[in-house]
Amino acid sequence: MPLISIEHVSHLYVGTGGTPSWALRDVSLGLERGRFTCLVGPSGCGKTTLLQLIAGFLKPTAGSVQLDGKPISGPGPDRSVVFQEYALFAWFTVRQNVEFGLRVAGMKAAERRKRSDDLLAMIGMSHAADRYPHELSGGMRQRVAVARALAIHPQVVLMDEPFAAVDALTRATLQEELLRLWQQLGLSIVFITHNVDEAVFLADDVVVMSAHPGSIQEIMTIDMPHPRDRGSPEFARWYARINAALHQDPKRKEAA
Amino acid sequence: MKDTAAFEARFLAEHQRSVRMRRWRGIALNILGVLLFLAVWEIIPRLGFANPVLFPPPSKVLEAALPMLGSGEIPWNILVSLGRAGSGFLIAAVLGVAIGVATARAPVIRDLVEPLLHGFRSVPVIALVPVSVLWFGIGEGAKVALVATGAFFPIWINSFIGVRDVHEIYLRSAACLGANRWQTLRYVVLPASLPFIIAGLRQGIAIALIVLVAAELAGARAGVAYMMSMGHQLFRVDIMFAGLVILGFLGFAGDRLFVALCRKLFPWYRPSA
Repeated sequence: MPLISIEHVSHLYVGTGGTPSWALRDVSLGLERGRFTCLVGPSGCGKTTLLQLIAGFLKPTAGSVQLDGKPISGPGPDRSVVFQEYALFAWFTVRQNVEFGLRVAGMKAAERRKRSDDLLAMIGMSHAADRYPHELSGGMRQRVAVARALAIHPQVVLMDEPFAAVDALTRATLQEELLRLWQQLGLSIVFITHNVDEAVFLADDVVVMSAHPGSIQEIMTIDMPHPRDRGSPEFARWYARINAALHQDPKRKEAA
Repeated sequence: MKDTAAFEARFLAEHQRSVRMRRWRGIALNILGVLLFLAVWEIIPRLGFANPVLFPPPSKVLEAALPMLGSGEIPWNILVSLGRAGSGFLIAAVLGVAIGVATARAPVIRDLVEPLLHGFRSVPVIALVPVSVLWFGIGEGAKVALVATGAFFPIWINSFIGVRDVHEIYLRSAACLGANRWQTLRYVVLPASLPFIIAGLRQGIAIALIVLVAAELAGARAGVAYMMSMGHQLFRVDIMFAGLVILGFLGFAGDRLFVALCRKLFPWYRPSA
């Protein structure tokens, strides 16, 4: 049984002009434990809606979203989310942010501290444990956001374009670090991006989505070993394949 | 390498010196501003632009105030006024924040009270003074209640807006990390809305003083504004001016104290000056 199973999920919202719009239409998808899944697609393809359904921030209009065979009824610590930016609590230090989920779960301070020490060391932020988010660079903030999401040992980490707001050099470093954490800790990750390069570099499975209505167009499994070489011909081939899928004309797709 | 260390030490010393310089210059300019104001005030009646009896210069005001300071009259009046303003403000702060949070967090109550709240905010509290005198008389309790009422509204409204507008992403972060409703309130909603709550409290301090004066003028047996109304009846404008200076200073000191307290309590938050 897949870790997350999405069955015939549709999600409607009331668009401008008061007409119903399909953010997602009859989407089915199974996500396996321990895999790195990237959702890619143009804006309006429903990738963020899909992530928010898994997170429990939204409820599907029709269909079911299940974690481990149990329907998802709301947000919870078994599915932590890393947002694009500005999600760190500005009034807590780095350490307090990382320990937040443990604190609300009632873990003792000493135990909490040990776990946050480990995580901060893993992301290379031990020196900044007592700083406030406003004292950190964008890249450092996203490292802390990842650590905060991992601290509670979630079953799956949901990431909504987490590196979109940082500069390209930092993004490459963050991607490598994330892969290292994923391998080291055996994480299951669902990662939204609109950056094809990012998807090819990170993902086991790439779910290409298309818009109007939001639906799954194609699922590809990239079996290249990590670390992947951006300069290799294989990388370029995958890049071209995903790019082509993204730019496919929907009318032609229907004709085919 | 030794060169580097010396260079860095020189740089650091230079930097610290310039930071210190800037701070001292700031303080000096602050003081200079006050002195300039006093000088202009002193000169205007002396040059004949104003009647010195109706517009006494600071030297005359000080002359009138000194014996009252020595006799304990001024300190006593300040103490009485501060007691009223302080207790009224405290009541307003507790109720304003509590009700602000409660009304903003529950959607039903929020929609229920929002129009009322925007109606109340446009009514100047001083308009309540005559009604309050009719209801509660001119006793201590009535004055404290009036100050509390006046300070309550800005605190309530700001807390309400702050809590209502807490960024969704903070709430979602808390939810997906497992925080329950109470934990979300304590660790996320309150700190996130703190800038608004602080703005409301600051406004509350200012309004507490305004309402205090209005309440004391409406009838009192002690207090800074009472002292001023006595000065009015005795045609002692210098005493009235002394009262004005005291009120100005109380407002200033109260605000500074509040900002200092915020810095201490919330190191991550920077209230603007």
